[in-house]
Amino acid sequence: MTTKCSGISRRRLLRSTAMAAALGGGATLFGPWTHVRVYAQGQKKPIKLGLTCDASGQYGDSGQDDMRGIVMAIREANDRGGVLGRKVEFVTTDTETNPATGSRIAERFITREECGFLIGALHSGVANAITQVAAKYGTIYLNTNSSAPSEAGENCARVKFVWDGNGANFAKAAVANAIKGIGRNWMLLTNDYVWGHSTSDATRRLVEAAGGRIMDNLLVPQNTRDFTAYLLKIQQAKPDVVAAAIGGDDIKALRTQVAQLKLDRRPAWINNQQDWPDVWGQGADSLFGVFGTTWYHKLPLPGVDDFVKRWKAAWPQSPIPIPGNVSYNGYMATRELLRAIERAGGTNNIAVIKALEGHKMPAAERMQHFDAWIDPATHQVQQTIYLAERNPSPADPTDLFKILSWTDAEAAKDDGAPAKCKLADYDKVPTYEL
Amino acid sequence: MDFLVALLPHLVNGISLGLLFALVALGFMLIVGVMEQINLAHGSLFALGAYLAFVVVSSRVPLPPDLLAAWRAVPIGWRYAASLVLAPIGVALVGMVLELGLRRTYGKDPLYGLLFTFGAALVIEEAIRILFGTRDYVLPVPGTIGGGFIFLDLIYSTYRLYAAVFACSMIALLWLFVERTPYGAIIKAGAHDSEIVRALGINLSRLRLLVFGFGAALAGVAGIVMAPIWGIRPHMGVDAVVPAFLIIVLGGVGSFWGAVLAGLMVGLVVGLAGAYASEWSLLSMYLLLIAVVTVRARGLLGKKSILEA
Repeated sequence: MTTKCSGISRRRLLRSTAMAAALGGGATLFGPWTHVRVYAQGQKKPIKLGLTCDASGQYGDSGQDDMRGIVMAIREANDRGGVLGRKVEFVTTDTETNPATGSRIAERFITREECGFLIGALHSGVANAITQVAAKYGTIYLNTNSSAPSEAGENCARVKFVWDGNGANFAKAAVANAIKGIGRNWMLLTNDYVWGHSTSDATRRLVEAAGGRIMDNLLVPQNTRDFTAYLLKIQQAKPDVVAAAIGGDDIKALRTQVAQLKLDRRPAWINNQQDWPDVWGQGADSLFGVFGTTWYHKLPLPGVDDFVKRWKAAWPQSPIPIPGNVSYNGYMATRELLRAIERAGGTNNIAVIKALEGHKMPAAERMQHFDAWIDPATHQVQQTIYLAERNPSPADPTDLFKILSWTDAEAAKDDGAPAKCKLADYDKVPTYEL
Repeated sequence: MDFLVALLPHLVNGISLGLLFALVALGFMLIVGVMEQINLAHGSLFALGAYLAFVVVSSRVPLPPDLLAAWRAVPIGWRYAASLVLAPIGVALVGMVLELGLRRTYGKDPLYGLLFTFGAALVIEEAIRILFGTRDYVLPVPGTIGGGFIFLDLIYSTYRLYAAVFACSMIALLWLFVERTPYGAIIKAGAHDSEIVRALGINLSRLRLLVFGFGAALAGVAGIVMAPIWGIRPHMGVDAVVPAFLIIVLGGVGSFWGAVLAGLMVGLVVGLAGAYASEWSLLSMYLLLIAVVTVRARGLLGKKSILEA
């Protein structure tokens, strides 16, 4: 027996309801994309961060050190009661120093794990791949440690904030003095990927602007382990200065081989930033030349000792016993993101982006010599740049650097970046609030 | 003339690099040639050799305190020499354990053996991470083989010269062992016709065990020699297994002199590319492989491979 009500059968009612639901769902599915990810969620839902940190590959060690800083900032925020009363959670997966893996993991973190923010990078290729995915969804991404000038130049994005000093910053801090003090004939040794190229391009511009000459640029494929051919070529060319933009495991091998040959004094070497995890494993003997960094654990500044103590308490089993620039950047980036969420009063991405843009960070809070700020034109943190060399008289086994100089953010700023960086308008950025 | 003078250091560098590549490939070649087994754990055994040598040389040996103090008092040259004996023995033992596990795959789809050695590579690498952490180490070497020397107005690495001479010696010793001793004859016979070898009353299982252990020990020796140049880190084996595989294919699978010749060619090509077309230096070895295999699929000195038999 069929039950009828107002001329509509039960089966027809169910079918109509199902069709309406399907159409409604379809409408949600098909757009408008820019607002699809506006979820109304409970105020106390945890804020979830996706940590895109390498655990293997060329930057595996550095990626894990980056993560230690990030996780420390998260724990400290939770110990204070969370952010806006919400607990901060995170997920992490090895991005393998591989752009394809980084891209896949970013997609998963955003679409399946519902992470509102992505944090972590060492390799500029991986950072750029993650940026593409983050920009598609409007997800805020903190590039903590990739120092390619292109990250805040041609590959900048409205959703991305770049926390490390870049090759142009370090070159600005070093080049003019080196040309005056050492000589005008330079050779470039460049890792053959985006960070190496953009760093060496910046060095070339600065050298030529200061009256120097680039004799040759030797491109070094990634994962090169034997540098003898390059070192012979350098000896044959007899430059005054070699500016090296070599990173990760490659710089470790280069350092070992330069030290073996005792080529560390002649020619003069200006290395780009030397990440602490790369330096730590090899010890002081293989440190050579002048190099850049954004932070050092023995800076004679208020707060440094306390930070080191907290970090050591947080990571008693860490293979690297004290924090270096990589962990520092991870910590600072995460802390400032969480503060920005508080200033924005929520996790709306546009509000958080605006809270970060132009934000000024006092020197005392960042444990650096000069104030820093987030450049609204490029989203790069403009900060103090330090030049260092091997410490000939270390106070303890971790005292590997001798800080030679510190340059304020304005003087070290990458002047070429704003012309290359085109940030998308706010209304072109997909919005969300998780 | 100036060009030739400029070229000479790079030729010398290429040859020395080639000898090191050949050394890295020797153990791999032996196991493939004799056992028809592609040992993907070769790189991890290479890394294990470097780590064990580091333990011996840097006096991190698990000994009672008084013995450890006595060991630390031993000059570094002796500790280094001891590492060249002890570390390969340790790696050989690990290799023998692997071979015992591999036995279940004999006579089955070769994929099983490949997967087994691949899994073993992951296990060894992870064990290294657990035991030694992820940080890098530097293998200390005696002062007499460290530093540099000047030749034709250029500084060369003394260690690099030592490593090349050592590689030459290892190649010669291995050749003498395989070609001039009854044990070598048995190994070769086992590779060509295992059934006859068995029929002659030779214990084939033990032969395979020893060959795998020997191949693993050679991987360990290569790891020790390369450690001061490449540095020691858990994934350093990846840097070894790829050129090793390429060299045995290029030289002809199972061919001793093929592997040596291929190693030298790869070294020369990589060394010269590093000097004159630096961005092509790593790619050049693959281009060489493509060029050779295109005209001679069995590699430079490959006969009808035992894998094809």
